[in-house]
Formats: sequence, structure tokens, C-alpha cells
Amino acid sequence: MTQKILLIEDDPTTADFISGGLTEERFTVDRAANGRDGLFLATDGSYDCIILDRMLPGLDGMAVLAALRGAGIATPVIILSALGSAEDRIEGLTSGSDDYLVKPFAFAELLARIRLVIRRGHAAAAPETVLRCDDLEMNLLSRRVQRGGRQIELQPREFRLLEFLLRHVDEVVTRTILLEGVWDYHFDPGTNVIDVHLSRLRRKIDEGEARPLLHTVRGAGYRIGAQP
Amino acid sequence: MNLRSTTVRFAGLVFLFQIIAGAVLLFGLGALLRSQSRDDAIRAAETMRADLLGTYAEGGTPALTTAIEMRTHRRIERSAVLFLSDARGQARAGNLARVPLGLVPTRTYVLMKVARPGHAAAEAMFLRAARLRDGGMLVTGTVVESERQLFAQLERATMLALILSILFAGFAAFVSTRLILDRLRATVATLGSVRRGDMSRRVPRDGASDAFGLLEDEVNLTLDRVEALNAELKLATDALAHDLKSPLTRLQFALESVARTVTEPAAQGAVDQALAESERLLVMIETALSITRAEAGIGRENFTPTNLAEMLETIVEIYAPMVEDEGRAIILDVAEPVEVPIHPQLMDQAIGNLVDNTLKYGAGTITLSLAQRGGCTIISVADEGQGIPADQRIEALSRFTRLDHARRGWGAGLGLSLVQAVAHLHGGSVELRDCAPGLKVAILLDSAPLDTPLRDTGPRGRSTRSLSDGRKYLDG
Repeated sequence: MTQKILLIEDDPTTADFISGGLTEERFTVDRAANGRDGLFLATDGSYDCIILDRMLPGLDGMAVLAALRGAGIATPVIILSALGSAEDRIEGLTSGSDDYLVKPFAFAELLARIRLVIRRGHAAAAPETVLRCDDLEMNLLSRRVQRGGRQIELQPREFRLLEFLLRHVDEVVTRTILLEGVWDYHFDPGTNVIDVHLSRLRRKIDEGEARPLLHTVRGAGYRIGAQP
Repeated sequence: MNLRSTTVRFAGLVFLFQIIAGAVLLFGLGALLRSQSRDDAIRAAETMRADLLGTYAEGGTPALTTAIEMRTHRRIERSAVLFLSDARGQARAGNLARVPLGLVPTRTYVLMKVARPGHAAAEAMFLRAARLRDGGMLVTGTVVESERQLFAQLERATMLALILSILFAGFAAFVSTRLILDRLRATVATLGSVRRGDMSRRVPRDGASDAFGLLEDEVNLTLDRVEALNAELKLATDALAHDLKSPLTRLQFALESVARTVTEPAAQGAVDQALAESERLLVMIETALSITRAEAGIGRENFTPTNLAEMLETIVEIYAPMVEDEGRAIILDVAEPVEVPIHPQLMDQAIGNLVDNTLKYGAGTITLSLAQRGGCTIISVADEGQGIPADQRIEALSRFTRLDHARRGWGAGLGLSLVQAVAHLHGGSVELRDCAPGLKVAILLDSAPLDTPLRDTGPRGRSTRSLSDGRKYLDG
């Protein structure tokens, strides 16, 4: 089943790029060029995710979000904004959106975040105690990690990183998603700080294994999964 | 107590004027009464003397003796002193026993203490003697003993009143100083909280149109203007951000879609480089905007109480593998957990910038430390590299400047400016210090209470000031 996305964005070029990219990724995209139309479409409620521009003619993005949440529509919303400064990001997140992306952003980043919020919406309510990916197993209670019977010793920070990855098996996670998700750190150091973490983790998990689990996704980030 | 302080001077002046006014009133009144009473006494005595000398001129000694006896016996003028002696000094008539010792005929009245017959004690009286033709002596005068006692009492009362007036003057000086301080305190507190970011605060007005009212009005009008300018700046930077970023977004999308389809290795490299450059452009715009907005105090509404120790721990954890790969170490030096209201994202970025800087330009172990000293929270990042020479430290904090040895590197020289802007946003400052070897960059967050004197936060004096007056924190 294809997933439906509502894109509320007034800048036609940006909208073209986003909807083009999403269609390529086999999403169905509906577009609205202003807040009023966007709100009208969104109240239909059949979308898996809404991408909402912060600055819109007529009805402002935050007003659209407030109206949606006021009407009891819980569809995940990702806000796009040219207002990069951190205070707007906080405002966006506290006003009921699920994620907040600052323009300009990499399409891969948007894609990863769309998949993340959609999955979060369908996530099982029961807390898991064991996370798995292929023959890699993480026990959250005993805090043991093993792969095919081989015990893997991880430092606390590596444990948390792997836990986050295992909660998002087969999803692309970007560097900024990792920084925010694992450490709640909202600044991209711009250097390869995260890559070093991943290469250490990879050494412990995949070294000597026939089937690597931790994959680098070019231009985007990382993915853990059995599929190469 | 500072004697040069205006309030102390004012209190002193109020005190002095109160004392002078009290003294003039009390002593002046006493002197006036005294001279009035003296004049009255002399006038009465003089009238009597003129009368008696008239009688003497007409009827000679016998008539005068009779007149004096009549007057003394009538006892109408109780305070009148009359005495007539013959040439040998023997009493002929009057209410004195003899001519008081030392009294000689003069043109003026003298004050003497003389005991009258039938009176227990000596009394004060004004006396004047006159030699008669027959060699006798006429003494006239007025007893002023009761007045003298009254004045003595008045003097005691005056002293008491003066002592009281000194106390009252001290109290008045204290109260008036307090009134001034109280009137100013609201203004100072308002300015303090505006400086700390609550741009909407205004001095409460009670409608008084005195000098303080004028000051309060002017302060409020100035704050209105500052707030309006700030709002304009926010709008302008938002617009700039939007105008610059929308084309950058399209550029990035275009490059990305090319990157997805291009297969030729040479083209792939070029596209990757173009992507990296556009990203770098974005970071620069973003950082420049962050600096401008932070310097304008925008973002204080998002301050959240944050555990700084945990925050530094996270940063150490994030950077540790990278630092270790460089063959260096990163350690945490936290004496006690500190929770202060900060802008977490911007502080993350500021400290991240500092760690990045030492990774790029520094050497040796990186130490992140957190300490509290003298109402000040100090977050610092230190390394063991070559540091920054003292004469280049102020320059290092300026926007878009990079010191020579860093000129080859990545970035636009905004890192330390951002750190400084973030410190200013939090009402603090940044210091660069030589650790011999190494550089220590400290972010000082002022957690001073409202009534401490306001620091100069002018954009010009700031960097030099923070370098000089902050040193005491680091030297300790």
C-alpha cells in the first residue's frame, strides 16, 4: 500500500523538488499552495504524514498546525522552515509538530525523517526488552549484546547508539537524527564526529562476519539491516 | 559606606540643613526673647528713674524720699528696685539695704546679683546709680530673676530640642535617601530584567511628574524604541534568512537529484563537492544569523533550566571517539552539578564550536570544565596547544576574522564570535586565557541577583572589559 503525504508549501520550486523526490520513492503526494487549502485537505485525515511550510501566505504554518491539532487530527506533521534559528525549532516542536527541518535541507534528511515519524505512528505500544536484527540480539534488561552466540562488549555510548539503530531496523538514519535521537544534541558538528562512532560500532558488530549489518547510505546516513 | 556616593552626600546635606534650621530657630528665638525682656526691664527702670529725678528736681531730697517710700510701700511694682542713700552711704529709703558693692554712677544699666531685704536669695537685677547734688546716691532698677530662671529653662529645653532635631534630621536623611533608592530601584530592576532578556518589562508608573517620573518615562520610551528596533531586526533577519535559503534549498535539491542519477566518477566527485560547498554556505549563513540574533537578545524566551554537567558529559561522549582517533584525550572536570536557565541548542553549538576549534587548531588533552565562582557559572574548554597570543585574543573574538595559522582551515571565522554572542545572550562574557601551554576559553554566565550594579554591556567596551575583569575568576 502506498503511503499518502500532504505537502503544504507555497514555493513552487521547492514543492516540485519535494514531491518529485517523494514520488520517486513511491509515495503518493497531494499538494496545497496555501494554508487554507492545506487545512481543508488535511482535515480529510487519510494522510500518513503532513509536510508543512512554516511561512505560508494567508494562514501561517503554525496556525494550520494549531487548527489541525485542535480538530483532533493526530497525523504526524513535519515542519519546514527557513527560520533556522534554534528558538523557532523549539517553538515548532512544542506546538505539536513531530519534527522540524530547517531549510535548506538534504532531501535524504527529509525522507529519513518522514519514514521515522510514520513508523513512530505505527509503533507497537508494548515496551520491548529484546531488540533484534538478523542474528544480532540486544537484551535491554541484562544489557547484553550478542551476535550468533558471540558476546559483544560495548561501551555505554555504543550501547545507546546501537539501541537507537535497532529500534529503526531497515530505516535510513541521518547523522542529525542520530545526534538528536541518541544524545538529544541539536547541533551538527559538521565534521565526521558521528562517522567515527559508527565505524567503531561496525568494527565490533561486523568484523569477521560474512554478512555485514551496518550499512552506510551514500549522501544520507546509515541503516542497520540484513539486506545489503 | 562610600562617602563619594551621591546618596550618602544627599543624606549628609539633608542632615546638615535640618540641623542648621533647627539651631537657627531655637537659638534665634531665645536670643530674641532675651533681648526683648532686657529692653522691657530697662525701659521700666528708666521710666521710674526719670519720674524720681523729676521729683528730686522739684522738691529736693525730702520729696524724693517720700516718693520712694510711697512707691516701695505701695508694692505695685514688685520688680522695681529703688534705693536712696545720703552722702555717707546710709540708707534713706528704698527696698535695698545699701548701695550694692561695685555699683558706681554710669550711663548704662548693669546686671548684678543682689539680695534684697526680706528675700531669701540674691536675685538678678538691672541697676543704675545716680549721684545727687547733696552727695546722696539714687539707685533704680528692675529685678529680672524670674526671667533669668525662665531663660535658663528655655536654654535646657532648647538643648533638648536640638538633640531631638539631630535625631529627626538623621531620620529624615535616612528616609529621604531610602525614598530615592526605592524610586530608583524599580527602574534599575526593570533595566536589569530587560538586559537579561525580558524585553516587555517596563518601569511601573504611579503618575508622579517629578524628576523620577521623567526618568521613568524616558526609560520606558527608550525601552519601547529598543524593543521596536529589535523586532525590526528579527523581521529583517527572518526575511534575509528566507531569501537566502530558498534558492539554496533549490540548489541543494537540484544537486541531490543529479547525485542520484549521475554515474560518471568525475561528475560524481564534482557533484559531491558542490553539495559540500552549498552545505558550507548554509552553515555560514546559519551561524551569521545566529550571531546577529543572539547579540540582539532574541531567543531568551526559550531559556530552559538545564543541567550543565549532563550537557558537558554528552558533548564529551559525542566527541570522545573522534578525539581519541586523533591520538588525544577529552576529559570532564565538574566539581558540582549546576542547573541554570540557558538556551540549550545555542549552548550546545557554542561548546561544540569550542571543541571543534581545539580539534582543528589545538593539541593535547581537551578539558571541559564546569565551576561556580562568585555568583558566576564558568564553562570552559582548554587544551594544551600553542594557544592564542595575548595581543590577538580580542581579534580572535571578532566576526569573520581568522588568525593567520587558521587561515587555511575550514569555516569563516565565526566560531568564537558565535560563542561570544551566545555568552552575551545569557548575560555573560567570553574569556581567552593562556594556560601555558594551551588555550582556555571560558564562557562566564552571570547569575547575579537583580540589585547588583549593572555591568557595562555596550558592544564596544565588552570584549576588552570581559578580558580584563574576568581574569580574576580564572586566576583563582
